[in-house]
Parts: sequence; structure tokens; C-alpha cells
Amino acid sequence: MKAISSDFAPPLKLISPFFSAGVIFYLLSMLALLFFEPTFSYAQMNVAGWIHLFLLGFVMMIIFGAMAQLIPVVLEAGHAVVDVYYVIFPLLLVGASLMVAGFWLMPGILPYGGLLVLVAMIIFAVENVATLRKTTIRTLTIKTVAWSNGYLLLGILTGFAIALGLSGDLGINVPLMLKAHVYAVLGGYVVLTIIGLSLILIPMFSLAHGFEETAINRAFKLVITGVGIVFAGALFAQEWLMYIGYALNMLGVFFYIWQIYIIARLTVRKEMDIWAKSMIFAFGTLIVSIVLGLVYFMSGKESILHASVWFILLGFIASMITGHLYKIVPFLVWFERFAPLVGKEKVPMLHEMYSKEGASMMFWFTASGVVLGGLGLLFESDMLFKGGASFLFAGAIFLFITMRKMLAYGK
Amino acid sequence: MCSITKEVVFDAISTVIDPEVGFNLVEMGLIYDAIIDENCNVHVIMTLSTQGCPLHQMITTWVKEAVERIEDVGEVEVEVVWEPAWNISMAHDNVKQALGGM
Repeated sequence: MKAISSDFAPPLKLISPFFSAGVIFYLLSMLALLFFEPTFSYAQMNVAGWIHLFLLGFVMMIIFGAMAQLIPVVLEAGHAVVDVYYVIFPLLLVGASLMVAGFWLMPGILPYGGLLVLVAMIIFAVENVATLRKTTIRTLTIKTVAWSNGYLLLGILTGFAIALGLSGDLGINVPLMLKAHVYAVLGGYVVLTIIGLSLILIPMFSLAHGFEETAINRAFKLVITGVGIVFAGALFAQEWLMYIGYALNMLGVFFYIWQIYIIARLTVRKEMDIWAKSMIFAFGTLIVSIVLGLVYFMSGKESILHASVWFILLGFIASMITGHLYKIVPFLVWFERFAPLVGKEKVPMLHEMYSKEGASMMFWFTASGVVLGGLGLLFESDMLFKGGASFLFAGAIFLFITMRKMLAYGK
Repeated sequence: MCSITKEVVFDAISTVIDPEVGFNLVEMGLIYDAIIDENCNVHVIMTLSTQGCPLHQMITTWVKEAVERIEDVGEVEVEVVWEPAWNISMAHDNVKQALGGM
């Protein structure tokens, strides 16, 4: 029989700060977009600041909170030391804030922010590895958790080296190290984690069963190998090696999309709730991003690369996260406040714990914003880009309000 | 001789609702069998819609408690099995219809 994961569920008070802070960082990221132009270079400090606000403040913050809850579900074992998440949260919060301030205002404080983030992530990765050692199960998802944590450490070490390089304390080739850093964190950790978790969560929420897993096996192996090759290529300045890695990664993502298509065909739940709409939008934008990425490799036009990155960050990654928040947060609140009342009094259903109208407004504003902003970047149109940013900010306000209500439900 | 029937046990379990989908476990088709011996000890054989269900333990506890509320019931055991794996064809028609599977 399967082990019982609810024994190991961490308390809501441990996880909710990650979600609350993550959503606030998302709101700030969307607000900050209003002050950007559609033409830029990734080497600009203000762009790097925004990327860290979004990726560290929103994406990493939410992923860490979600992992605190989901690691026991995936591994079927309790955390080695769950209380370390009480330490990880303030370190990540302050570290991310200092890094953003460092990029935007004072480069001198970058290493301090970077150091706090490094410590937070080392604690996170070490705790994950210690938890992994408690389980004898070796599914592909579990192997992926192990690989993604390894890449996370590589990404953070290269990021810290960049922070020292930018502040003048370390003589390194910053642009090359930047490529290694971006690929290890974004491809190696964020994308691998999202692929691994979505293989657990999407069939769970859509009630899809009995599907073949050959495609996802190939996807995992190709992405893991591809990220490693790009990382090595960037570190040793071998561009040809990096192109092999890019190709393997694209192939890996293709197999991932194919797996999702297989799951979608077997989906039992056909209702178009906020989660289902977000998933469709996320995978739609992932396909758009890949197509734009291919066009960029053929044309070399920078604006196409910007649009491709936009669709993967704000379309795929952000929608995967926000869509799942409307499933995970009600569950956590319900588990803490209502599960003990089952059989004694009437308890709410999970879908009753958030405003459908608020979630719908969040979705439509966000989806419109992603499309408009992406077109703005593609055509280098300030009007389209600013219009998209405005919609995204409005969507973020609805996300913030609905999240506050979900977390306060039944308090 | 025990007077508790399988129907009575299933009726008791039908008070347990899956909070995610909003249907009771019986109409979801998650309860495979209930074996009742002559001393009114009940052995429930059930499954869950997904193996990684974070509510695994809670749901089995709710099932146990629901059966224990039956008058004159003896020992109650709940066994979760994964074979045969659950699929939507095991659910009642109203569930299939509501989920969009019909």
C-alpha cells in the first residue's frame, strides 16, 4: 500500500508566507513592467533587476512554498527537517529584495543579497536531498527532483560569482557566466521542477488515468542532458556545444508537450474552471514561445528572442503557477481549518473557497496582457507593450485580492 | 447472525464527500467492496482517484468513522487497493455527467 502523505503535511502557517510574499512580488513585477520599454538588452541592470524580482520573488518563492507541501506527496516521506522552511522564507525574502535593490539602485549590495539567497537555496537543496534519502522509491519524478536541486546549486553558485564580478570583487567573464547561470536556474531548476510537478498535479486534478509515460521519460532525459551541455558550453566558451544543448532541450520540451497532449485526451474532468483555463493558456504560450525561439535561431532578430522569453516566463511559467494556486491554496486552507470538522458539521468544497468572478478577471486580464505585451516586444511597439503591462497589472491585483480571500477563508 | 448489510455500509460511506470534486465516495465508484462477517466486523475495500492523494489518510479515517457510526457494528477495517485502478467508468452516471465525461 502507498505510504500516507497527509501525516507529513507541514502546517499552513509555514507555507502561507511563501504564497503571500510570492503574490506580492508578482504584483510588484507587473507594476514595474509599466516603467520598461519594449527594446532592451539582457545585460541592462534594470532588466536583470526585473528578472530577479519575477524569478526569485515570485517564481522561486511560490515553488519553495509548494515544494514544502508537495515533496512529501511526491516522495511519500516526511521532510527531514521541515522547520528549515521558517529560516528559508526570511532569507529568500530579504535576499531577493536586496538583489533587486542592488540591480536597480546600489550594485554594491548585490553580493549581500546574493549571499542570503545562496544560503536559503543551499538549505532548501540540502533539506531536499536529506528528505530524498529517506525514501526508497525511485520514480522518474523523484530522480528529477534530485537533478533539479543539483542544477539549482550550480545556478546559485554561478549567480553568486556574477554578483561578485559585478561589484568588482571577482575577475570573471560575466556574460558567459550569465548564460550558465540563466540556463542552470531557468532550465535546470524551474523548468525541470515544473515538468516534474505537472506530471503529478495535472493528472491528479484532471482525473486522467492509465496514460503511457514514454514521452515524459524522454522529455526528462533530454532536458537534463541538454541543460548540462549548455551549462558546460557556457562555462568553457564552446558555442557549438551550447547549440547541441539547445536542440536537445527543444526536443525535450516537444516530448513534454506530447505527454501533456496524451494526458489531456484522457482527462475526465471537462469543466473549464480557472485551473483548466490557465493550463490551456500556459501550454498555448509554451508552443508560441518555442516557435518564436526557432524563428530567432533562424533569423537572429533580438525582438523575437525577447517575445519568446516573454511568453515562456509570463505565459507558461506564470500561468502554470497561478492556475495551480487556485487548487493548492484552497486545499491547504481546507486541510488546516475544515478537515477536522468533517462529519461534525457542513464543510465547504474547495471550489467554493475562492471567488470565481475574481479568478476569471485575473485570468482574462492576465491572458490579454501576455498577448499584448508579447506583441509589443515582437513589433517593438511601446503602445502595445504598455497596454499589455497595464492589463497584467490589473490581473495581478485580482490575483492578490483572491489570494488574500482564499488564505483568510474560515479564519 | 449480523443484520448489517452491504447496502447499509455503502449508505454510511456515502456521507463521505471528496472535497475536491464534491461527490461522495460511493457515487465516485471508489468503494469496491464491504465484507461483513457474522460478528458484524466490517472490512471495506476501496481505492482513491490518484495514488499521490494528499488526503489519503484522512479519507480512510472518514470512511472508518462513517462505518463505525452504524449501530451494532464490530471492528472496522479499511483497505486501500490500487488494483483495479479507478477510472471514470466506475463512477455513477450523475458524476460522469457533472464532470463532463458523458
